[in-house]
This record gives sequence, C-alpha cells and structure tokens, in this order.
Amino acid sequence: MVDTNGLRRILFAASITLLFGFAIDAVAADGKIVITFANWAAAEGTTKPSIDQVIADFEKAHPDIQIKSEAISFSEIARQLALRLKAGNPPDVAQLAGNDTFVIASTGKLEPLGGYVDADLKGPAGFWYNKQVMAKAGLDPDKPPRTIDELMSAMATIKKSQPDVIPLALDTTNRPFSLQSNWPWIATFGATPLAASKGRADSPEMKRYLTWMRDLAKNGYIDPGRKIGEFRPLAAQDKVAFIWDQVLLQGVIQSVNKMSDADFYRHWGVTTQPVGPSGKPYSFEGGHQLVIFADSAQKKAAWTFIQYLATSPEAVKIYTLGPGSSLPPLSAAPKQELAAKLDTPIYRSFTVSVIPTLTTPPFGPAFATASSAIMAGVQQAVTGSEPIDQIANSIQQQLDRQ
Amino acid sequence: MVTPSLGVLAIVVGYPVIYTLILSVQDYNLLSAAPARFIGAANYAKLFRDPTFWQALVNTAAYTFGSVGVSVLLGLTLALLTENLGGCRGRLTRALLLTPWAVPFVVVAFLFRYMYLQNGGAINALLLAAGFISAPISWLNVSLLAMPAVMVTNVWAMTPFFFLLLSAALAGIPNEVIESARVDRAHTLSMIFRIKLPFLRNALLVSSLLMVIANFNDFAKIWAMTQGGPGYSTTTLVIYVYRQAFENFAFGYASALGVVWLLLLLAFAVAYLRALRMD
Repeated sequence: MVDTNGLRRILFAASITLLFGFAIDAVAADGKIVITFANWAAAEGTTKPSIDQVIADFEKAHPDIQIKSEAISFSEIARQLALRLKAGNPPDVAQLAGNDTFVIASTGKLEPLGGYVDADLKGPAGFWYNKQVMAKAGLDPDKPPRTIDELMSAMATIKKSQPDVIPLALDTTNRPFSLQSNWPWIATFGATPLAASKGRADSPEMKRYLTWMRDLAKNGYIDPGRKIGEFRPLAAQDKVAFIWDQVLLQGVIQSVNKMSDADFYRHWGVTTQPVGPSGKPYSFEGGHQLVIFADSAQKKAAWTFIQYLATSPEAVKIYTLGPGSSLPPLSAAPKQELAAKLDTPIYRSFTVSVIPTLTTPPFGPAFATASSAIMAGVQQAVTGSEPIDQIANSIQQQLDRQ
Repeated sequence: MVTPSLGVLAIVVGYPVIYTLILSVQDYNLLSAAPARFIGAANYAKLFRDPTFWQALVNTAAYTFGSVGVSVLLGLTLALLTENLGGCRGRLTRALLLTPWAVPFVVVAFLFRYMYLQNGGAINALLLAAGFISAPISWLNVSLLAMPAVMVTNVWAMTPFFFLLLSAALAGIPNEVIESARVDRAHTLSMIFRIKLPFLRNALLVSSLLMVIANFNDFAKIWAMTQGGPGYSTTTLVIYVYRQAFENFAFGYASALGVVWLLLLLAFAVAYLRALRMD
C-alpha cells in the first residue's frame, strides 16, 4: 500500500522544482540538446497552435536546445508514460494532471523538484452557468443555484422551456478523471467512498448521491456517457445550461464560437458548486503539472524548458492564458499586461470563491484502480434499474477485493 | 525448409504466449518497483471468484455469437438476393453492399456513436420524426440497450464480409447441379436449403470461424463506443484485460485473464476444425 501523504509529498516536490546534481546533457548530432516533451496540448486542436508557438519561441530564445514535442491524448498519457518507463524509454519532460501525476510519481522515476515556483498551484473546477439559457427559461441569470434543491428546480424549468438543452454537463465516463471530477459532488452529499479517505461506498451518504445521479438521468438533466470535452462545443452553441468544468472552458468556448471576452462575460458566469446535504460546496484539484523524468540525460535543459513554459510572461500569455486557458502558476502577475488579463470576472470567481472550496481525493494508484469500480457503479445507477442499495454494495465488494 | 518459418513463429507467437503464461502466475504490477513475485495459481483463483470476469465472459459470448449469427444470415440473404443480378446494376449493387467493409472499424464505431446520441443523434431524430418514439433514447447509456446497439454497429460492419465470401461460394456451385435441380422442378426454397446451402457449408464454417475469433478479440469498436459501459454491460474479455493491464497496470492478473481467453479460443477453434473434417 502506498502512503498517500508520502506520495503527495513526492508529487509536490516533483511538480515544482528541481533538486541539485544535473546529469551531463546529451547533445544531438547537430550540437543541439534535444528534449522530448510528451504532452496533450499538442494533441488537441484548441491548444496545439499555442503550445507550438511557445515551443518555437523557446527554441528561438535558446538556440542550443531543440524540443521534440510528442502529442499524446489526455486520456492516454499516463498509460503510455507508465509503459515507456518500464521499457526504459521515458521522455525528458511530460505534462500530467490530477491522479495521473500521483500514479507516475508512485514509480519513483520522477526527478524530485522543489522550491522555484509558487507552491500554491491550483486548477479547480467551477460551476459554470449559461446566463442566456437561464434568462430564456425565465430564471434570474445573475442568481445561479446555490443548493442541490435549487439546482434541481432550475434544471426542471430549463428542461421544460428548452428541451434541446442539456441542463447539466457532468462527465460520467469510466476513467480516473471522471471520479476526480465527480468527487466534489460525492463530497457535497457527505460521502467518501474510499477506505483511504476513511469512508465506504455502501454508506447512506453514497447511496443518497447515487440516488441523486439516477434522478438526474431519469429526468433527462444529464447526458450520460459523454466526456467533459464533448460537452464544451455544445456549451459554445448554448446547448448546455450548467457545466462542471475548469478555467479552460472559456478558451474552448471562445475558440469554437469566436465570442469576444465582453460577450463571454455577459453570456457565462462561474461560481461554487451548489451545496448538497453536507452543507458545503467542493471543487476538485485538476491542475496540470510538468514533470522531469529521473532517467533524463538532459535535466538542466529540461528544467530551463519547464521554467519557461510555467513562468515566462510570453508562455503564460500565449499558452496558459490562451485558448484552453488555465490559472498560471504565479503568485503575482509579473507584468501589467498579464495582470490585466487575469483581472476578469472568471479568474476572480475562481480565485476568490472556487479555490477555497478545493478538496483533494486520496490520489494514487489505488485511486485509479478504485475509479473503475466506482464509476461503473455510478453508470449502473445512472443508466440501469437495479436498486441503489445493490449497486452501492456491489461497488464496496469490488473495492474490498482490490 | 520449415526451420526458418518455425523460428519466426517461435519468436512472434511462442515468446509472447510463454511470457504471458509466466506472468499469469506472478504478482506483477507495472507501477511497482518491486520485482515480480511467484504466486502460483492465485491469479486464477481470484479470476474465478471475480464476478466482473464472468459478466465479461457472458458479454463476450453474446457479442461474438450474436453478431456473427446475424451477420451470417444477412450476408447469406444478400448473396442469394444478388446472385442473379448481372451487368452494371449487379456490379453497382455489390459495390454498395461492400462499402461498409471498406470503412475502418474505428470510424464505423465513432459514426454510430454519434448517430446513437441522445441529443442530436440521427437515429433518434429519424425515430422521432417517424413517430416510433416519443422521447429520444440514450441508446449507448441504457444498460439493456447498449450491447444490442453495439452489436448492430458490428453487424453493419461485418455483413459485407459474409456477403463477399458467400457470393463467391455461390458462384462456385457447378451449373450442372443447378440445372438438374431445375429440371426436377425444385422450387426456390428447396433449391436454397437442399442444393445451395450444402455447397456453402465449408465457406460458412471457415468464414464464421474467422469472424468468431475476430469478434472475440474485438476491442476498437466497443472501446470507441462505450468503453465497456455503462457499468459493465458491454465489458467483454478484451476490454476487461485492457482495463486490468493498462489502467490498473496489474499485468499478472491481466495475463491470467489472457491465458483463459486463449484457451477458450483454442477450444472453439479445435471444435470447429473437427466439424470441418467431418465433412
């Protein structure tokens, strides 16, 4: 059993700064140091142009370093990195997120990092509400639902007035990210389904959560089986009323419908999750990390690249705050221009309201294994007719066997 | 003469099989720094107590035999219907009927996935417009409907294979046999069941054996459409092995599943080959 706190410490250290003792840099035939960078940014249409631009700018600023970008989809990256680690062929640098970072860190093959960047890095999800859809349904667009009961009532009104709109976009696919994304909803019902968080999947709170999920599906309030990324283009077409997503949603929506910033803020708002029986709203930590692999022969150059990607004003402007944007890993914006970019209703909402509600699941390899059983149970609750008690017991039995 | 071929087979087939057998009796997790540990038959014992394994086995049988059975029937019907179509019309019809076979399976899976969508899917739109349903159905997200929906996709993609093979086999029936049956005034049904089908027996057996093996191993369509969900309703053995090996990184347990899977396929292939020899 992996000690989660220990793992968290490893991750914390790994995702932030580099220890001492760089290996001698490997040099390519043309004299350049080649760094392989496994990332999903280059695999996604929205972010590819900006990451390509940042890499080109970096290479121009560092003519002795060449970046070999390896595009791997978000869902595949941990799998491929684990296999490449075992085969002794990891990249130098990789982009990771959420539980995947803990899974890869558990191999002990990440370079320990620490101390260079602001440690308080966050990538939370917020409750986005479409003001246009709410107004059309006769709801007050400036008063998003604050409780689960208000949410249910608002969704009923929206469903009645606009049957072609998906009232709530939730990712219910079976993958570790989905459990990560659903964790705050489980938490607001007071449930903690994993033993690592001192809970059980067959608790009354978990059953209440599963019952609520079934109600959502029965009433047609969610569209099960879609990944969160598949809801984003629909959100851009006003086919989604509420969506549980990260900061990057703004960039994706604007890249699809070419909406101006001002229009976007008139159209969309973001706030904390509507609270459930626990009386508390939660959010999940979905921040992206950059890691260096311990076997890399180019650690010094790899660090230079990571530093540039994470903190250079150019990279923050083009990539981090660009299409598919997220919160930059900086405690204070270094330039006036960036400070202005960060002074928006969306970033303010995330910083002031959402980030304080963050809850971190017990990440690690056990979380990945458990996610399969829990999300299969959630899917059974959402799409089947088996009694909820039976589903919850079945999840717990599967967790006990692991 | 055969030594080089045997050498290549030993490397490309023998080594993975033997290594899988070795892994199946070990506790081996890809993420663990600890070396693999011999645990005897523990993985197999776990497997037989694992309800998801049994559900995957039942799903695999339903998916494989259901899809192959319906595709054989459709392929045979289409081959018989188009048998006497000649000229430009015949060539065009055959080309159209073969088109699904030319579409990559992953593309087929995504096409159907989008057609099945509850919101904006073509199938729901058609059924709603025709008045067959009053509200859109979430085809791939209802436990009872997901497997049949995936099977329909599979049948659409696979039927041309049977159509092609059986059309060729039909064309190979000697004219004398057909002519003498006509002289004996055999009607259409007796011509099909007493004359043509016996001639098609070997083609049917070989083609369905190939497709049973292919469907038993079918990963792309199911993964692209449902990833084995909702719940475990479309989880077949290959999906379960994939999840164990590449999501939980439990290579030991996944290998034990793989060995059982291999034995099942071998048993089926032997039974089929015996049936062929009995001819």
